[in-house]
Amino acid sequence: MPFDLPIRKIIHVDMDAFYASVEQMDNPLLKGKPVAVGGGGKRGVVSAASYEARKFGVKSAMAGNLASKLCPELIFVRPNFERYSEISKQIRSIFFDYTDLVEPLSLDEAYLDVTENKNGNPSASLIAKEIRTRILNEVGLTASAGISINKFIAKIASDYNKPNGQKTVNPEEVLEFLEQLDIRKFYGVGKVTAEKMYQKGIFTGLDLKQKSIDYLDANFGKSGRYYYHIVRGIHTSEVKPDRTRKSLAAERTFSENLSSEVFMLEKLEHIAEEVSRRLNKSKVAGKTVTLKIKYSDFTLHTRSKTLKFFISDKSVIFETAKDLLYQEKLNNSVRLLGISLSNLNTEKKEKPKEKKSVSVQLEFKF
Amino acid sequence: MKFIVSSTYLLKQLQILGGVINNSNTLPILDNFLFDLDETELTVSASDLETTMSSTLNVESDSKGSVAIPARLLLDTLKTFPEQPLTFVVEDNNTIEISSNHGKYALAYADGNEFPNAVSLEDPSKTVVVGDVLATAISKTIFAAGNDDLRPVMSGVFFQFSTEGLTFVATDAHKLVKYTREDVKASQVAEFIMPKKPLNLLKGILAGSEDDVTIEYNDSNAKFTFENSELICRLIDGKYPNYEAVIPKENPNKLTIARTQFLNSVKRVSIFSNKTTHQIRLKIAGAELNISAEDIDYSNKAEERLTCDYQGDDLQIGFNSRFLTEMLNNLSSDEVQLEMSLPNRAGILTPIDGLDEGEQVTMLVMPVMLNN
Repeated sequence: MPFDLPIRKIIHVDMDAFYASVEQMDNPLLKGKPVAVGGGGKRGVVSAASYEARKFGVKSAMAGNLASKLCPELIFVRPNFERYSEISKQIRSIFFDYTDLVEPLSLDEAYLDVTENKNGNPSASLIAKEIRTRILNEVGLTASAGISINKFIAKIASDYNKPNGQKTVNPEEVLEFLEQLDIRKFYGVGKVTAEKMYQKGIFTGLDLKQKSIDYLDANFGKSGRYYYHIVRGIHTSEVKPDRTRKSLAAERTFSENLSSEVFMLEKLEHIAEEVSRRLNKSKVAGKTVTLKIKYSDFTLHTRSKTLKFFISDKSVIFETAKDLLYQEKLNNSVRLLGISLSNLNTEKKEKPKEKKSVSVQLEFKF
Repeated sequence: MKFIVSSTYLLKQLQILGGVINNSNTLPILDNFLFDLDETELTVSASDLETTMSSTLNVESDSKGSVAIPARLLLDTLKTFPEQPLTFVVEDNNTIEISSNHGKYALAYADGNEFPNAVSLEDPSKTVVVGDVLATAISKTIFAAGNDDLRPVMSGVFFQFSTEGLTFVATDAHKLVKYTREDVKASQVAEFIMPKKPLNLLKGILAGSEDDVTIEYNDSNAKFTFENSELICRLIDGKYPNYEAVIPKENPNKLTIARTQFLNSVKRVSIFSNKTTHQIRLKIAGAELNISAEDIDYSNKAEERLTCDYQGDDLQIGFNSRFLTEMLNNLSSDEVQLEMSLPNRAGILTPIDGLDEGEQVTMLVMPVMLNN
């Protein structure tokens, strides 16, 4: 073995075109047709596209009008998140029949650590197969799975035989698998980093592996060390079953770009209200308010402020966001505004203090 | 050195001066009263180096001299006498002998020259205020001053004199009181921060007094002269925070309510509040004020409903009940107004009635953030 870490068995289960498949399942008229969930409005963005739609090049996060240009027959459906979350719960309950170490990443994907599973099944590949069969039989949807020794490789693998397939990367295949892997496939390498790597002649895992840790440190900062390790199959991140929410946000893309702060305030108030509603629904409060501004030229700016106390009240969120908005002059017209609250009181380190932080005496800001 | 003085007359003055003396002094001489005799004029002083206070008494004497007499011993002795003349005689063996109707008492004294001299004020400015006005200004504000050694400026009361009037401000960063007298004016603009100790002394002495108090001050010291007494103290050095900036300008939510009723409810409900935060919750909707408190640790809970006059949006705001109680207690009006804007902005408490012409009181209290 090239590494002395204990071998784990991690499955990454990823539902196939989840939102779109749910819609097709619930509405037989949509079956076999190109469907896009979301993206209906003037500036809407597609949240998910069915496989029929993907053939035309429709992808998630694509602007609705571009999608309909690519695929004129595309059917836009309004998202119904309650329904998705209901189905997601059903699927999750299947996972729990095998292991308690389930880390949901979103409604449609999750990591499972089956190193020790409830059925005593030594083969993670067979467990994955069984889970996928059960999801199909009990829920009616198809899923893909990636099986390997860590979360990072499992996630890449689940994409290999998508849709409705699975891929196992055995411990002895790990290094070879990573070496031939396109650098863009590495989780954590986005467009910008990929570009940077290309310039340095790094195109595959093998190229990456030949760079020294110091070189990566110098060129990619903190992430350098991460890349150095993952390409060697070392990724120790555990499957965290009690993954707690770290932030909560709401945002709006406007049908017309806004250039006057007065109009933005009105929108901002609605966004604050939405954030507050979501906070209260999840019974959390946060300390850090971040204002997200996307200008008409698509440049993205964020400004944030951390308060001394937890807030969930609409008016306070709005006030803080307003201060952030006025903090600096806007340098262009704005297409999107968003508010997110982080530093939530659900975060673990806050827990022992929770009782004390129930109330905070405020001070004058002299 | 010899003088004869009435026992109660002397005791009354010494008890006031005794307030200056610290319980434990690094300089032993400060445990004494300084007796400075100039024939019929006896000036008695006490000091803690920061504050020096002295009073002049009329006594029967034809001698001069200066001695420092142990304060505790003298006060304890004087307290026991019924009214009678006492004769003080300085003996050669470094003792002072007091003769009463009952007998003789000898106390060791120190040389008056050892006693630190009070600072003299170099070219001071001057303002004259009626004693009771000053006492009221102090008692309205001093409770709001802080005790934080790290922020010494806030441990005093800010005197802001101008030709428009006098303003007194105290804050501990949680609550703030601004007391203004537009009927008393200073000849020129001046600002200084008075420490609490001398103010407490002045408050006690001057309450109800119709006599004028002359206040002289420069950058480092202030001197208060009244009747037969004077008090000189060192000012707190530093810049007072810009308190005007923290007074919210727009407060759309206005609550008017009977003061004692509000106070009594707050006091009662606060018994059930958490013992460290003293947090109570005010919920205002329509003409109803709901005051509640909860101590989750002990499952104690209380809630009261009061009718009030309210203009504004429905609001929920938390306060430390001790601050509210102190502030409401300090006011004397029948009705008070509480103005608020947001649950994280200061509430402004003002009396509706009972103020003198030209008198103004503004109290601010910062809320406690509620976590629903």
